[in-house]
Amino acid sequence: MKRIYLGALFFLHFVCDNYGFSQGFQVNFQGQRQQGMGLAGTAAPFDGSSLYFNPGSSVFLNQNSIVGGVTPVFSNILFIDSATNTSYRSNSPVGTPFSFYAMFQLKPTGKLKVGLSVNTPFGSTVQYEDNWIGRFALTRLELKAIFIQPTFAYRIADHIGIGGGFVISSGNVNLQKDIPVQDTNGVYGHAELAGKAIGFGYNIGIHFNPSKQLSIGLTYRSKVAMNLRDGEATFTVPSSLEDKFPTTTFTGRLPLPSVTTLGFSYHPCSAFTVVLDINRVGWKVYDTLAFDYATNTTSLSDTKSPRMYKNILAFRLGMEVKPIKSLSLRLGGGYGLTPVQSGYVSPETPDGIRIYGTFGLGYELSQKIRIDASVYYTKIKRSDTNLETNMSGTYTTIALAPGLSISYKW
Amino acid sequence: MVKRNSFYKQLFLVCLCGIALSSCKPKEKLLPNTPGEINLQQFVAIGDGNTAGYMDDALYQYGQQNSLGAILQTQLQLVGAGEIYLPLMGSANIGTNSSFLSKLILGWKTDCLGGIGLSPVRFAQQGEGASLTTSAYSSQNKFTNFGIPGLKMIGAYQNQIGDPNALDYNAYFGRMSMDQFTLPAWSGTWSTVRDNIFNGGNPTFCSLFLGIEDALPYAKSGATANPMTPLLGLPGIGFEESFVAWVDGFSVQNIKAVVATIPDITQMPYFTTIPYNGLNLDDEKAASLNQIYGPLGFSFTVGSNPFMIEDPTAGAFGVRPMEEGELILLSVPLDSMKCHQYGSVYPLRDEFVLTIAELQEIRNQLLAYNQVIRQHSNFYGFAVAETADFYANLYDGFVYNGVTMSAKFVSGGAYSLDGIHLNPRGNALLANVFITAINKTYKATIPLANALFYSSTYFP
Repeated sequence: MKRIYLGALFFLHFVCDNYGFSQGFQVNFQGQRQQGMGLAGTAAPFDGSSLYFNPGSSVFLNQNSIVGGVTPVFSNILFIDSATNTSYRSNSPVGTPFSFYAMFQLKPTGKLKVGLSVNTPFGSTVQYEDNWIGRFALTRLELKAIFIQPTFAYRIADHIGIGGGFVISSGNVNLQKDIPVQDTNGVYGHAELAGKAIGFGYNIGIHFNPSKQLSIGLTYRSKVAMNLRDGEATFTVPSSLEDKFPTTTFTGRLPLPSVTTLGFSYHPCSAFTVVLDINRVGWKVYDTLAFDYATNTTSLSDTKSPRMYKNILAFRLGMEVKPIKSLSLRLGGGYGLTPVQSGYVSPETPDGIRIYGTFGLGYELSQKIRIDASVYYTKIKRSDTNLETNMSGTYTTIALAPGLSISYKW
Repeated sequence: MVKRNSFYKQLFLVCLCGIALSSCKPKEKLLPNTPGEINLQQFVAIGDGNTAGYMDDALYQYGQQNSLGAILQTQLQLVGAGEIYLPLMGSANIGTNSSFLSKLILGWKTDCLGGIGLSPVRFAQQGEGASLTTSAYSSQNKFTNFGIPGLKMIGAYQNQIGDPNALDYNAYFGRMSMDQFTLPAWSGTWSTVRDNIFNGGNPTFCSLFLGIEDALPYAKSGATANPMTPLLGLPGIGFEESFVAWVDGFSVQNIKAVVATIPDITQMPYFTTIPYNGLNLDDEKAASLNQIYGPLGFSFTVGSNPFMIEDPTAGAFGVRPMEEGELILLSVPLDSMKCHQYGSVYPLRDEFVLTIAELQEIRNQLLAYNQVIRQHSNFYGFAVAETADFYANLYDGFVYNGVTMSAKFVSGGAYSLDGIHLNPRGNALLANVFITAINKTYKATIPLANALFYSSTYFP
């Protein structure tokens, strides 16, 4: 059965590899247990997902573990244009953030762990309905980044573990919008910028158990500068304007922010756990979205769109109860500030202050196999007038993300 | 056991996906659209070519359907206005100007140097002149758009503009008029625009955008002919009394209205496209011009120089270089400028140029017109659409929902190819100025038009 499910995950990854929902374009779906508990769990090691959430905590698990999970994200954006009192919707594809973890202990005591984490902590695919009012700002944006993180962790004392991993991020960007020039049939031009990007970073963490009931975790996941080289810009325009919009290569840079997390886990008895994570996300690195075209013309100049994101905090709280040993029930929620300042809300990330709720459950099918599932729900509303495009209106976003993972431990 | 679990798991997933797909769309809660204090039982748009949808130097169906009047009414329909009745021309796309030429489109043109470039060219060999001699009048459906290309503020009171034999005859009005090209037996005079508007019941709400044509023909002649309408004089002669007759008439008939100010027409692409200093000279040409004009005290340098123009007030020879701020009209023979030293060896004639003094005269007159419009509209409490501000913003350029709009010829996105009249998108933006004024004065919440829904210049 494991093979079937891993096969299905593999399939999902290649067939519909769009990652959905996010803070900014951060995606926080890296583990079903954490997702059930309000996306928190930095101080509560659980399975192979600890390699990502806190490498330092993984050494407190006495197991080898393989975990695969996927979280389809159904997100819908409604934009109401204030001037025309008309509404437009997104028809974004279902996002499929996934995660895969393999963790092995090299000593029977579990003092030294090695592992591999593969997941998608950043990404976004938004697509708007045809002919929508913001078509000349954006029709579709796809950002994808897969983080591959080989990880080592070591228990340096009975109560302290440290760990770290090197992150290779491979991604791509595809940005499309219409160009406000019409051919003789009235059809508008279209621009598509597509490119692959690669970036590097690291993930380090420390885990500390001051008492039997309390755990504290501190992690730092570095920023990853995704460098786009040899991207391809394709323009569909009326033939008389083709020389002004030549097909050209471009370069660009998309910084993915650092995330610092302080996490607490309190488990007064084995059947009850409360977790709290506080994230600080270094979104300030995303100040400009710039594209540098190899060929410039009077109609095609390099673009620099201000984004002016700011650093944010997010608070995530969750709990888990185990009415029977094989069953876990989870509940959580969170509050996140938005990195997008007033005047900079754009169709690509119509982000706002976020309040969300989650619940989840886990079931041990056997000593070795367990399944975990979760559901995440949020609704975000943000009104703004963008300073660059003068688009003015209200974005309402609803996202629902049910996730499922299966793990095997021995 | 294992099998069953996997079945339940699948069932669980399917259910979740079902819930997800059906329940996670934000609900659309739009604000109510309300007419406020206006009664839209019968709306009539009154104006000149802008209201009519004259564009690309012709009146044609597509332009009429995307006219200021039609777009404004489309938005008013959201709060109760009735069906749009237009005096439609015969064909969708050919159209005609008053000289029976078809509309302009953007096409390829070979200039005198053999260079091929994009340029406005006539769509057809001939305009659809027949539409100007065929009556569009219908006693069943009163026109909701009394936009008449070329109509002046004073024109609405003049019987002669409906008289096919008169010098001032306006064929665009003639084809709309209830006279149907026949002098009414009962009166012995041709009916006026006003007569037609008030025929068959008073409108309840009007837009009034007149006054451009009281100055434009003068500006288009390079201030050599077609004098501007004077401020003073009886209705039909003077601007002020003609305007007062409109607004006073509305007030007496209990008609509410949105009234527009007049833009600075000299900021339209027709006047601003050719730079005053576009005379680019190499060594040889500069030397030869220096030889010609040296004795007069004018010198030329390599690179860009002002064009030479005729100016009777400029010294003994009546010739001088242009000054910054002076304008060359788009009517100038461009091939002669490119290939036959027109504008250098041969100075540009007065009719192709607006000098500083002439511009001052025109702008002062427009300011005076606008003062009249504002003063009397405010007196009667009518909404005032500041189109003057809109055109000025367009001249400076602005971004609308991600699209840069400007007064640049062809590429600016808002003006049609005649460089004077707006294209559908420009008309939609202009209609929004009217709606904003109505909303403000009459406490209405009429949504603005999405200007990007309306087309701009088509490129081959």
